[in-house]
Amino acid sequence: MDKSMQVIVVYLLTHIGLIFFMYPTDIIECLETGHWSAILLGFAIHVALLAVYLKGLQFGAPNNVIDIYKRFGRWFAIVFLFPVALYFAVVIVITIRAYSEIVTLVFLDNTPLWAIMALLLAVSSLVAVYGVETIFRTGILVALLFSPALLLVFSLSFQNADWRYMLPLIDQRAASFSYVFREPFLLSFFAFTGGFLFLGFIPPRIPYKPRKVLLASAALLPMFMLSVYVPLLTFGQSAASLLQFPFITAVDTVNVSWLMFDRITLFFLLSLVGFVMIYISLVMWKTALMIRSVVTIMSPIVTILLLTASVFLACLYIPNWHAVERILWWNTLLRLYVMLVIPFVTLVLGFRLHRKGAAH
Amino acid sequence: MNVKNVIPYASTMLLIVGMMTLLCGCWDNKDINHRALPIVMGIEKSEDDYQVYLLIPMKDQDKNSALVVSDKGTTINEVIDKMNKNLEMQIDLLHLKIIIFDRSIAEKGLNDSLSSFMRAGDVSPKTIVTITEHKLRPLFERMNAASLNNGISLYDYFEKNAGWSPHLAQTRIWHVFRSMQSETKDVPVPLISAGKATALESSGSAVLRKGIMVGKISSDETLMFNAFAGMGSQGKIEVMNQASVLIVSDTLSHSTSLVENTPVLNSKLTLKVTIIETKGSPTATLIQQELEELWTARYIRMFRKVQSNRADILGLGQLFRNKIPMDRLKYWRDDYYPRLKFNFRIHAIIQNEGLLKMKE
Repeated sequence: MDKSMQVIVVYLLTHIGLIFFMYPTDIIECLETGHWSAILLGFAIHVALLAVYLKGLQFGAPNNVIDIYKRFGRWFAIVFLFPVALYFAVVIVITIRAYSEIVTLVFLDNTPLWAIMALLLAVSSLVAVYGVETIFRTGILVALLFSPALLLVFSLSFQNADWRYMLPLIDQRAASFSYVFREPFLLSFFAFTGGFLFLGFIPPRIPYKPRKVLLASAALLPMFMLSVYVPLLTFGQSAASLLQFPFITAVDTVNVSWLMFDRITLFFLLSLVGFVMIYISLVMWKTALMIRSVVTIMSPIVTILLLTASVFLACLYIPNWHAVERILWWNTLLRLYVMLVIPFVTLVLGFRLHRKGAAH
Repeated sequence: MNVKNVIPYASTMLLIVGMMTLLCGCWDNKDINHRALPIVMGIEKSEDDYQVYLLIPMKDQDKNSALVVSDKGTTINEVIDKMNKNLEMQIDLLHLKIIIFDRSIAEKGLNDSLSSFMRAGDVSPKTIVTITEHKLRPLFERMNAASLNNGISLYDYFEKNAGWSPHLAQTRIWHVFRSMQSETKDVPVPLISAGKATALESSGSAVLRKGIMVGKISSDETLMFNAFAGMGSQGKIEVMNQASVLIVSDTLSHSTSLVENTPVLNSKLTLKVTIIETKGSPTATLIQQELEELWTARYIRMFRKVQSNRADILGLGQLFRNKIPMDRLKYWRDDYYPRLKFNFRIHAIIQNEGLLKMKE
């Protein structure tokens, strides 16, 4: 049975969960005008890498990405995939820490951080323990539950838009791509690279069509645009660049008299926290899979419990938001490795496996 | 059930019960009856201190009433803390609807207070900002005495779906915050005072330039501002001594050009009106001509006034975003705006003449 639908839904919602917080901050910071150029560039890179990665996986099928690397030697796999596992672990720490900080900032200002982190971690690791099928099914459920609220928020979010803030469409900085190697733009890849590697970890018992996933990625472009342009059109670049979470504040300005709730931000935030939980459980499951492929004696539950405990401890050691931003920046090197090296190496290895298979 | 199954079963149950303490999300929760939810806040400067007033609706057993609390301190937060200490409830500013600043504060600038509201997030960015030229204590006493339904009605004064009229500017915290950062957009803020029969009375609007009050416009001029922003419908205009008309719809079209570095703006406002009152027997054409002449002249006068204040409340600089380079646009208010040539034309359409016939 073709399960592309589940894969696509999880692919979309893990990205949507990541887009709306740090991504607009980075993009608004990196340009004064012509932000669409940065969004399109990032998105084009994402789609290109996704295509390369999927092609490599298709060649290497029915192996998952770990098996493909292992076919070229155990140490080969460890050398290439260790940075990926490290990246995933850091990503879990950052995501948990950042989202609990966001939740505290926006609505639960009395609740201690550790409780929110424990809650996020507990739910995610519970889902991760049950494996990828559970993650996918929960993903479908979460998507069904929350997408009406999200659609409502998206359609209302343009209430205060002043379209003239779109102009001028481009300036020299945007046209010359001089922002590409600057910190904010590199940081913005956090939203692009976090999710798509999971496509390589899906076991063959969940068949999906890579072409459909590639097509579905087009649905993300409006999300990226929305996340940057809603705050830009509401506040203008100079005011929006002062905001920590521009999209959230922009949604806060929406005034709906017929709705009995005063702040639609809460619906939005809760939906996204739901999506992020799916994302964290997915990354956890991937990391556990990688750990277990090296240390084969560990059972899935023990691996995930150990991982959860160490992530929680690491989260407790991060003192403030500034530190989160620093770690996010240090992680850029790993991120560039994961997003640039892994897809291409996978393509090469997959192609060689494919030729070997054909020769036999 | 045999012994082997009991242990996992018991541990699952323990986990579920343990989760309940975390998942309920109630941390240091204060019930609604232990919270004071002020709806109006007044801020006055007396010598070097801030004097803050809060209007808090109270629900006694069967009668609704409101309470006015006031205190003094060097910062607004310090005053709120003092009030918290003295009050038997926790003050929660999240549902604050109106903030009233004393004129002397507005003339020094609202930037610091409004930025700290935006930063702390305890006051909603949708809160309406107003300025008063009178003492705050009598104003709060008047509001307390005249407000029905424990003060909620005050909020309706400014709400579009309730008692708002287009003679009143509708400016929220985030509007002022945006204009503080913006190079091209300022805001008017309603001037209010204690009413005679009603709780509040408006005497026009204060003109804010980058968050600092620099001038005043009258109620009729506020209607012109609202018509310019496309919110003028249901506004009434007196046409000399002959008739009054009701605005049904307003549409605005612009063309902009830059002639030898002097910005030129040609605007045409199309007003659709209905006649609601006549004196004597003027013809419809006469009323239309009178209306066009009168309002064009008034618009130009209002524009000259705000132009001399160098405050761009009409947001005209926004129209030049693609004409003037971004680095020059920073000097819009001081360099271009005072030289702006504003050619304004009103085109009035009398949509109908009411239920009585009128001679041509």
